[in-house]
Amino acid sequence: MSKSLEFLTEALRRLPGVGPKSAQRMAFHLLQHDREGADMLSRALHQAVSAVHHCALCNTFTEEDVCDTCNDEQRDRRLLCVVETPADQLMIEQTLTYKGLYFVLMGRLSPLDGIGPKDIHLEKLVARAADGLVTEVVLATNFTNEGEATAHYISEMLKARGIAVSRLARGVPVGGELEYVDPGTLAQALQDRRDT
Amino acid sequence: MDLAEANNLEAAGMAGPPAKSRAPARRHEHQRGYVLHTYPYSETSLIVETYTREHGRVPMVAKGAKRPGSALRGALMQFQPVAFSWSGKNDLRSLTQAEWIGGLPGLAGDALFCGFYLNELLLKLLARDDAHERLFDCYEAALLALGGGGEEAGVLRGFERELLREIGYALNLTHEADSSIAIVAEGRYVYHPERGARRLEAREHPDFEISGRTLLELDTGVYSTPQTAMQAKLLMRLLLNHQLNGRALATRQIFTELQQL
Repeated sequence: MSKSLEFLTEALRRLPGVGPKSAQRMAFHLLQHDREGADMLSRALHQAVSAVHHCALCNTFTEEDVCDTCNDEQRDRRLLCVVETPADQLMIEQTLTYKGLYFVLMGRLSPLDGIGPKDIHLEKLVARAADGLVTEVVLATNFTNEGEATAHYISEMLKARGIAVSRLARGVPVGGELEYVDPGTLAQALQDRRDT
Repeated sequence: MDLAEANNLEAAGMAGPPAKSRAPARRHEHQRGYVLHTYPYSETSLIVETYTREHGRVPMVAKGAKRPGSALRGALMQFQPVAFSWSGKNDLRSLTQAEWIGGLPGLAGDALFCGFYLNELLLKLLARDDAHERLFDCYEAALLALGGGGEEAGVLRGFERELLREIGYALNLTHEADSSIAIVAEGRYVYHPERGARRLEAREHPDFEISGRTLLELDTGVYSTPQTAMQAKLLMRLLLNHQLNGRALATRQIFTELQQL
């Protein structure tokens, strides 16, 4: 195989879920059937890598210093919702019930994978939450053990600085029939039951 | 298999040519166990490191576990008892079913971190496919104690000691090495990872000396002062490090980083 082709295959293998065979197939496809697409891909990658960086306020991907969401005057600056990924932020946006701002960790604490506080920008979050306008931080990390550990440490750090912290509620899903809800979720819903 | 998967296999200790498998080919049904850790495997599957009572550490592939709405999602959580069913005899078994059993309170806060630590110890120090029923019961009791707000340091020391015993390094905390001379609370000792305790002469001042009281209290699991509890922690760390043979514990490192925040 030519040097350039080999280089391209190696590069494609850096994508998640792409092994040597898939990478080779992609490389052949681009060079044989879609040279225009290959050119487009190359330009798009180059542009994205040079233009996209983290928002100074919420840490999500943006091309400006501060992203559109953080710049939106209509949003409630007293609320700050902490999520693991931009995809999680999108889900919360889709609920149409949250009007505050966000902080995107771009990951979660995962001790066994060696992912610690430095990898999820906790210092930036503390600085962001202490801007004097935020009165409540809503922790919306996942309900996995790693997400819970992340929420616990953020909550300890922020409470020590006098910032009010809340956590997403969990329990039976909307339209959930108890007969079909998984027992783990139901057990949590019982533990977290509330007065009516 | 791509690079990330190869890395995950390597992290799971499954790299290299497949060893001749000793495990029988038959199916196993409803085995009580725990998830120690999961690694992503292809777009939709997971490698699950399980710890079962009757078969010890068994690595499995959970096909489709990452798909939205997979029934495995809620079941494959650490620190909750699960009934595992699997088949296969290769290095990586196929998970066929995982059912949530429940009954444990679940871990929160610092106790959750202690749970991650226990899991990392099991992953790094326990060989595959070796049943350790007594250690399993000890693990389960430790989770129960941690979930019920038990005193964390004491729970961890007890588990560490049992783990060392199970992998063939039982601690002798009541007598000096190779002798029948009893440890005395007022004595000063040095502890050799493989031989045991040796009483120090008055002129000896090694980097890490340990009081007789600490050794005796580590034996009973009841600590009279913060100093003996701290010394017990340092001694167990020394002994575990010896077994880890230069491999670092990620949970220990990250816990230290979090304490500094």
